[in-house]
Amino acid sequence: MFTFLKELTEIKGPSGFEDDVREYIKSKIKDKVDEVFEDRMGNLIALKKGKKGGKKILLDAHMDEVGFMVTNINDDGTLSFAPLGGVDVRVILSKKVLVGKDVTGIIGYKAAHLQHGEDYARVPKYSELKIDIGASSKSEAEKKVAIGDPVSFTTEYEEVGDYIIAKALDDRCGCSILMDLINDGIETNCDVYFAFTVQEETGLRGPAIVAEQLNADMAIAVETTTSGDDPELEKQLWSTHLGNGPAITFMHSGYVVSKAIFDKLVETARQNNIPFQYKMRTVGGTNARRYASTGIPAGVVSTPARYIHSPVSEVRKDDYKHAFKLLKAFLESE
Amino acid sequence: MSSFNSLDTKDLLLKVTSIPGPSGYEDEVLEEIKNVMKDYSDECFKTAMGSLVCVKKGKGPKIGFFAHADQIAFLVTKIYEDGFIRLSGVGGWDPKVIASQKVWVHTKSGKLRGIVGFMPPHLQTTEESKKVPDYDHLFVDVTMNSNWKDISIGDLVTVDTKGFVNGDIVFAPALDNRASCVAIIKAAELLWKMNIDAEVYYVFSTQEEIGGPGAKSAAYISEIEYGIVIDVTHGDEDIPGFPKIKIGDGPAICVGPVTNRKFVEHIKSVAAKYNIKTQIEAIPGRSGTDTDDVQLTRIGVKTGLVSIPQKYMHNPYEKLCAKDVEDTAKLLAFSAAELQ
Repeated sequence: MFTFLKELTEIKGPSGFEDDVREYIKSKIKDKVDEVFEDRMGNLIALKKGKKGGKKILLDAHMDEVGFMVTNINDDGTLSFAPLGGVDVRVILSKKVLVGKDVTGIIGYKAAHLQHGEDYARVPKYSELKIDIGASSKSEAEKKVAIGDPVSFTTEYEEVGDYIIAKALDDRCGCSILMDLINDGIETNCDVYFAFTVQEETGLRGPAIVAEQLNADMAIAVETTTSGDDPELEKQLWSTHLGNGPAITFMHSGYVVSKAIFDKLVETARQNNIPFQYKMRTVGGTNARRYASTGIPAGVVSTPARYIHSPVSEVRKDDYKHAFKLLKAFLESE
Repeated sequence: MSSFNSLDTKDLLLKVTSIPGPSGYEDEVLEEIKNVMKDYSDECFKTAMGSLVCVKKGKGPKIGFFAHADQIAFLVTKIYEDGFIRLSGVGGWDPKVIASQKVWVHTKSGKLRGIVGFMPPHLQTTEESKKVPDYDHLFVDVTMNSNWKDISIGDLVTVDTKGFVNGDIVFAPALDNRASCVAIIKAAELLWKMNIDAEVYYVFSTQEEIGGPGAKSAAYISEIEYGIVIDVTHGDEDIPGFPKIKIGDGPAICVGPVTNRKFVEHIKSVAAKYNIKTQIEAIPGRSGTDTDDVQLTRIGVKTGLVSIPQKYMHNPYEKLCAKDVEDTAKLLAFSAAELQ
């Protein structure tokens, strides 16, 4: 377990630019599955056949992470940019980023000494921020980068105690659990499709075309979800709590989870003595909604994480392990 | 021989910016600097205020180069029972640039990891989404450390960013004012090979960011006649009523009442003679650097202020040009060498 998570989180793959993530996953799983293919949008789908070929269950994890895109190259050599997915402007100031494949820079922010009155006391807008790659003119910058280039955070993976600190845990953590399931050689009666999908963060887009291609009976979105268990939120507003096990979702934005799947997940956790928690906030959405709307009933199992959609997020290893166990038990019981 | 002899300016900049040294806690970084400087000086000592003074002996006038070695940091102000802490700044931080940074908490049992956490957009109310980050709301998550209970109120916290280089441009923490420390080191390296009249005091001082006594007390001890303070100034920024100081166009020589006019003319003439690119920065009144205090030490010091152009001052990543640091070193070395 955790064989791939470090590399997975350090690969850059904002929505629409998942290529390196996909190639990495493909190279690691191709010899351990019965079929693997890439579809028209770039979703990577692998099939592991069951013993009796019964039900077809789809596990989904999205490969993309939040990031940015270069929208303009300015006369002074700086780059204007816009977010790919939901990134609060307050978490990006003075962070190192990678532009395209190999250009490093920072998201610069004006020295406090030079911010006056109202400027100091307000949240800046994206349109005011620039990426500084050290180029001193437009023509110098144009030799290195182009409009439309992806921009990613560069945080290195780190383990401290039982915690993992990294970028892109949402949802490389899910990708990692799927890969660990493939790697650990699960024995199931059902056929399992592993869908590593694109463009979740820009509107659940990748999975929209998956249903047409497979005849799945149900889908589980394996996600990394919010927690909010910190001093800034009253306990009643927490979404999940790190250390309490994987979160099982009963409803989220735009989708009430299939009652049958939800009950089955809860029952599986209880029968196998796997700690779990209910996701206590219904905000945010997952690919489960997209599967449901394209005809596949879907559930959601998530690893709780702090500070997602920022350069530095955090999960607990025991939550990850229990999410893995729950999914393994679920698949083996079908 | 020191391990730095084979290193160039950029490596030196990355090295000295990688060591945390908040105001009042400069010992570790000063130890590193001393390791380099001992090869270029006749004598090194620490003042009572903790500043490092290295001396190249001479029979002529005494001149001091001053760079503060401290950087801005934070202190722990509150500890919650479930492994979160709150901070307050030591020195002029903008709390807006701290969210989502990794930090080190310096405890009695060593440094511990921390994350300045930030609520994901999914959980924010509309009101919360407009709030400007401040110390009342920013928090540090230290739950990942099994021994986080070793943290005490008053422990220091530093931001953990690692410098990097793009061509001649350096992005790194604490370039204010380690870049000036490097300029002095490079100047000492140049002067060590020269035969000059002046006696040179290389001063790496403490507690500038909180307006402390580090530089002035060092100036007092060394009884210098001339003093050049090296600091950073805002580069590539539009400041109404002033010419733009440009990164890459050389050090900025201060003209104004905290500097000695004749001595500044000397520095300018050295720049012209040795073809060192410089810029002029007019500072009417106090400069906000150690120059203000050094000038008033004992019977007075003939001061100069040379500033390295820098962008994003006091942010976890600051930016400057390595060549400006080298040009500053040359300007310092020849300004001392030309003193009779």
